[in-house]
Amino acid sequence: MNSLIKLELTRALRNRKFLFFSVIYPSVIFLLVSNQTGTVDGTGLSIAKYVMVSMASFGALTAVLMGNSERIAKERENGWVRQLRLTPLPGRGYVLAKTASAAVVSLPSIVVVFIVAAVLKDVRLDAWQWLALTGAIWAGSLVFAALGVAIGYLASGDAVRPITMIVYFGLSILGGLWFPSTTFPTWLQDIAKWLPTHAYAALGQAIEQSQSPHAKDVTLLVVYFALFAGGAAWLYRKDTLKA
Amino acid sequence: MGGMTTTAVTATPVVGFEQVTKSYGSVRAVDGLSLVLRPGETVALLGPNGAGKSTTLDLLLGLKQADTGKVEVFGTSPREAIVAGRVGAMLQSGGLMDEVTVGELVKLACDLHPKPYKVADVIARAGIAQIADRKVNKLSGGQAQRVRFALATAGDSDLIVLDEPTTGMDVSARQAFWATMREQADQGRTVLFATHYLEEADAIADRVLVLHRGRLLADGTSAEIKAKAGARRIAFDLDGEIDEVPIRSLPFLTSVTVSNSGSAAGSGHTIRIQSTDADATVHALYGLGVYPRNLEVAGLGLEQAFVAITEAEEAKQS
Repeated sequence: MNSLIKLELTRALRNRKFLFFSVIYPSVIFLLVSNQTGTVDGTGLSIAKYVMVSMASFGALTAVLMGNSERIAKERENGWVRQLRLTPLPGRGYVLAKTASAAVVSLPSIVVVFIVAAVLKDVRLDAWQWLALTGAIWAGSLVFAALGVAIGYLASGDAVRPITMIVYFGLSILGGLWFPSTTFPTWLQDIAKWLPTHAYAALGQAIEQSQSPHAKDVTLLVVYFALFAGGAAWLYRKDTLKA
Repeated sequence: MGGMTTTAVTATPVVGFEQVTKSYGSVRAVDGLSLVLRPGETVALLGPNGAGKSTTLDLLLGLKQADTGKVEVFGTSPREAIVAGRVGAMLQSGGLMDEVTVGELVKLACDLHPKPYKVADVIARAGIAQIADRKVNKLSGGQAQRVRFALATAGDSDLIVLDEPTTGMDVSARQAFWATMREQADQGRTVLFATHYLEEADAIADRVLVLHRGRLLADGTSAEIKAKAGARRIAFDLDGEIDEVPIRSLPFLTSVTVSNSGSAAGSGHTIRIQSTDADATVHALYGLGVYPRNLEVAGLGLEQAFVAITEAEEAKQS
């Protein structure tokens, strides 16, 4: 199990495109957007602070969603999943190794944005806030890791990339990771506030406002996690019987 | 290793199928299959496409569950036997992890095996030392097969299962592969392989299972299988008009075909016979008072034996 995690991680760290989009790209967007001064309506947070949390969440989302769904779909198709079932590795070990290695990459995605924000944009927070932000965004990314696994077991090797892209951009944009959802028309805001990405970014914003995360957001994330993880487990079992 | 262990191993079959059935929709892929593999046997599983070979191996490895009947490996469920490290397997449908090196993948297989060999030894034995640093997705078909073989032999397993292992290998690679495989068998392992190449079954296996439409048609040494299909092939030409009836009633025949040989004046015939006792058949042929020309008597290859057995079965069913 550990050796599979290590190998998955080695592979992820070798993939420059993946590392660029999950670790570097969010910081680049942060630098481009955070030049504006002022505050974001309804939050009292400076644009730099607001975008920092959005981009840290976006980076973690990229790290846990993009690699896994595509790999799982492809490896189901090429038979690597079958080959692993001929080893003593427990069935769920494959999914756990993928999730664990994604979690290792998502941590730098979060921290690099924070460092860039603190050093280049003078974002200042209390020590507990930095720690709580890192912990909350990292833990929250598990929701999307489960979603990535579910997509990997749902989609075929050909369809997985477009499906992942639609889900990824849809959740990022509508959830308000790119532009504050307060700039949306009201009807769209009504939809956006029920999305997992919206609740995810709201965790970090609450911490920046020195509040504890809202019960509604936490509940929403827990429900989505149960939904995605349950769906992934169900699809996994179906796939195992079929293979 | 004490005598106790040896006794215990001989007492429990390596593989036991008891009236196993597996269907996909209305298609019976495996139909009431019963078989027992004993320790140390090298067994070939032979059958045309769609005979149920892959399904049989999938059931044996616990990748599929039987609809009815019982599958046991070393007296336990297939999964338990795999977890105990007693089974190494190489499937045609088994893929490899992309974007890692061959060496890294073999190391993973060794790490996962409860009784692993040294990585370097596994690599050397599979003949992949020169490609150990190459990325898995950059391999040729034959090289990928060798890597699969390395994964199947990463540890000290008692049973090795191979599904068409030499697919994609050229002749020399194939020979090298079977030399390696024989070493495994000589160490007392049980080896079960499915193959299209009948000469492989003939040369390597000490027992051949012929599978057709999910059922076991024949089970024996390759010599026994050949005997079952009619051991010898007799061919000769006859000039002029012939009476087929006495030829068809020659003793020990399993099949007769008569064709126009189109030789002198278009009146000749070529007769091809399969016989379980060629001496007696030829003797009776001369007793008919005919003059056979170009008489040939040859042994039947396993391939022809195999075709004869499956054709006989299909004739029975239709």
